[in-house]
Amino acid sequence: MRIVRFLVRRLLQLVPVLLGVVVLTFLLVRVLPGDPIRTILGPNATPEDAAAARARYGLDQPIVHQFLDYLGGLVTGDLGTSIQSGTSVGAEIGLRVGPTFELVVLALAVALVVAVLLGVWSARHADRAGDHGVRLLALVGNSMPEFWLGLVLILVGYSVLGWFPAPSGRVDPDANLTPLTGADLLDAALTLNGPAFGSALAHLILPVATLSIVVVAPLLRSVRASALEVLHSEPYVAATAHGLSGRTLLRGYLLRATLARLPSLAALVFGTSIGSTVLVEYVFSWQGFGQWALRGLLYRDYPVVQASVLVIAFCYVVVFLVADVVQAVLDPRVQI
Amino acid sequence: MDTDLLSIEDLSVVIRRPGREVAALSGVTLRVGRGEVVGLVGESGGGKSMVARSIVGLLPGGSLASGAVRFEGDDVLRMDDDALRRHRGHGAAICFQNPRGALSPTRTVGRQLTDRLTTHQRLTGAEARKAAEEQFATVGIRSPRRRLDAYPHELSGGMAQRVMISLATGCAPGLLIADEPTTGLDVTLTREILRRFRLAADTDGRGVLLISHDLASIAGVCDRVVVLYAGTVVESGPAARVLGRPAHPYTRALLRSVPDVDGRAVVATPGAMPLLKAAPRDCPFAPRCAHATAACTSERPPVSWVPGAAGDWTLACFHPRTDELAREEPAAESSGRGGAAKEPVLEVDDAHVVYRSRFGTGGHAALRGVSLRVAAGETLGVVGESGCGKSTLAKLLLGLVPAARGDVRVAGSRMSALRGRELRRLRTRVQMVFQDPIGSLSPRRTVADAIAEPLRALGLSAARRAERVEALADRLKLDRSMLARHPHELSGGQAQRVCIARALAGEPDVLVFDEPTSALDVTVQAQILEVIADVVRDPARGSVFISHDLATVRGFADRVIVLYLGRIVEEGPVEEVFGNPRHPYTRALLSSAPSLGDGFSGPKITLTEDLDDTEAAGPGCPLAARCPFADDRCRTEEQELRPYGNTRAACRRVPEIPDLLKGSDIRV
Repeated sequence: MRIVRFLVRRLLQLVPVLLGVVVLTFLLVRVLPGDPIRTILGPNATPEDAAAARARYGLDQPIVHQFLDYLGGLVTGDLGTSIQSGTSVGAEIGLRVGPTFELVVLALAVALVVAVLLGVWSARHADRAGDHGVRLLALVGNSMPEFWLGLVLILVGYSVLGWFPAPSGRVDPDANLTPLTGADLLDAALTLNGPAFGSALAHLILPVATLSIVVVAPLLRSVRASALEVLHSEPYVAATAHGLSGRTLLRGYLLRATLARLPSLAALVFGTSIGSTVLVEYVFSWQGFGQWALRGLLYRDYPVVQASVLVIAFCYVVVFLVADVVQAVLDPRVQI
Repeated sequence: MDTDLLSIEDLSVVIRRPGREVAALSGVTLRVGRGEVVGLVGESGGGKSMVARSIVGLLPGGSLASGAVRFEGDDVLRMDDDALRRHRGHGAAICFQNPRGALSPTRTVGRQLTDRLTTHQRLTGAEARKAAEEQFATVGIRSPRRRLDAYPHELSGGMAQRVMISLATGCAPGLLIADEPTTGLDVTLTREILRRFRLAADTDGRGVLLISHDLASIAGVCDRVVVLYAGTVVESGPAARVLGRPAHPYTRALLRSVPDVDGRAVVATPGAMPLLKAAPRDCPFAPRCAHATAACTSERPPVSWVPGAAGDWTLACFHPRTDELAREEPAAESSGRGGAAKEPVLEVDDAHVVYRSRFGTGGHAALRGVSLRVAAGETLGVVGESGCGKSTLAKLLLGLVPAARGDVRVAGSRMSALRGRELRRLRTRVQMVFQDPIGSLSPRRTVADAIAEPLRALGLSAARRAERVEALADRLKLDRSMLARHPHELSGGQAQRVCIARALAGEPDVLVFDEPTSALDVTVQAQILEVIADVVRDPARGSVFISHDLATVRGFADRVIVLYLGRIVEEGPVEEVFGNPRHPYTRALLSSAPSLGDGFSGPKITLTEDLDDTEAAGPGCPLAARCPFADDRCRTEEQELRPYGNTRAACRRVPEIPDLLKGSDIRV
């Protein structure tokens, strides 16, 4: 019951946060130099054409009026119409969020598992060769730019070894996948489409690997540091002094105490990844959310930029909410 | 003859870290037999914990050990990993100091106990849970089944200590090592916890090594004691003899430094324990010893039998003392100062303090109607168990928590009537000396800055401040070179002197001491008590001395109040309250106070159950649930303070109690 009350309270806090985000992005995007109408009409358009286009998108109205219009639309679930493509922003997001989400969630899941396994192992073998090796590798992964790493993986995995499909989309079009959520692997599983599942999985491996390698380092470092701290803590020393077996020590006294410190960092990494997959998406022609948001920004497509910032903000808040709940589950001292 | 359970032979431990080297133990020899309780005493830095760690093979990194730690004949220092794992827990199990810190915060205490049971007693999950419940019940945890699923942070300090003991005994060890098991516990609990260790030796035949700096507490339960000083054994022998008529000057210094409830005076020994870089070639105590001769500083005294003593009593001293440990009569000067006739500097009138819970309604009443007054030149002692509201009272006097009802008047001004600058001015009239001296000094400011803090608040010029600071340093016997140092360069005793100097700097009307010596070592404690005794004699100032240690309060308070669950249960002149306690709670506190002398002389009563404030929420006397004399009227009627002789007590049955006691000791 407590947890439900906590969730409701936190979700209510979402409203003012998102409202603030809406106001800020609405203003900032209009302060940016550049004009969406000029961008779509090209250099040869007459001032009359421009004025007509402006009127069509309501950009000739006073700014307060525009804002109220936009806010009214948001309340009814209408995110506006893309200036560039002329289609509904809501529908476009629907297509784009799924793939990116799938990519980020899988990459983070892989990164978390690797970080926990290697981090704890590393802490238990602290200051030995293996520990130094693991930390060095994580550092190398972290310092490689993701687009370059993606290209190298494509070169090796596709061009040289030929193990993985070409970086030309998310699933083989011949697999006849019926899109439901936009997340192809999930869709394939839901529609029980075996070939599509295999194809989607094969397409996912390289981009997920790229993203995980890039984000694993901070997670690994954090896990190693907290595991070391737990290993030197009084409770752990006490358990050791009472002669408990290595397995009991690891499972009962090390793991949970170590993990209890991870959720907030994982949430932060997750939040950043949603906005920053754009380079990975470009390299793998992923046609995801990041690519879409970036194009919207380049063309000064106001509704697209506003909607994408809103989605990212929403994700941040929800992910941190989940992290707080997970933390409370892991650490009995945390009251929510 | 079978081998001893534990036999440490000539154990030396040197800890090497880059840039420093410490000889933690130098040639320690001691043994513990089955069914025997051995006390290992000495001040911090003496190597007590290092002995404990070496017994379970958990020496810190960079340490070099020589000698032997034989456990049932096998040398722990030479065991391989497998043998060590079997030895830890099942051979020797440590009961850690600070139980709350040593219990894993993310595992229920029941699971932590079953982990030990399944590892060492080969029980299955269900058996272990059942055994765990029994184990909890035997260490005196109420509703053990419910407690199995509790996490450590949900337990009180006493409960956590019981759980820690159950964890250690749950390993079914041959040797139980208790590292300062009673630090931070109340007198009633201390007695109860120590009894558990005696039981472990008597009924289960375990050997028990009891590590403590608190001689008086462990005196009653130990068969033998071993006294450590600077990593060497200075004296070892039967507890009654060593503590009754110690032969080594250090043991004598330790004993004389401890205040006792029977009111005898404390004699301080100057100096502090040295930190040795290498095994000593002389007597490490020689610089502090009044009997030291040239031989003491040129040669290390060998361990020898105490001359003329029968039994297993050894010491390392060229000049063993054989005379009776001088027992000075209670200092009579504290009484008859007539402070009460003077102007009160501090008055508290029916003060209630409530800590609201973070969300929603309700809260916890920490003080429920406390009234007191302190006259200039008078010292008021405040005693009670932890959770009774002592610290809240201190905060209230300093204006750090607001009174929900009632009032605090300092030098005639009502605290609640003032705001802003005037309130801040009034606050400078009350100063506090804290429990943790180093923690209460800012780590980035020098000693001189810290002492000058209240003077800056008063707006004194830099030159005047420097002058005052130097005068204060001289008064508290702080070397002037100390003034430029930072708190981490100070010892506990020096830091507490700095704190007292800081409190005195602004010439306050009231000084509040909140357990000022409980974080200090025994001999240092005695030195600080001497300083405080000197400070509270100032006729212009009133003092409040808060402590859970009755003996300390008895030393220099004029009047004393006894707090229980936020209420005053007894109040009166110190000799009267300690000599002839009216309230059953006061009698119980005095009965369980540890003493090396005769202790409390009247009929004793004992409260065994833990303090639990949920039970006291109802009407009636808050002690009713634990009191042997409670009847139905006690449980329903609110108790007011009533005068009995020249003390006041909140108990309606006071006139009947002498008859109820009938000279016999009562246990609940």
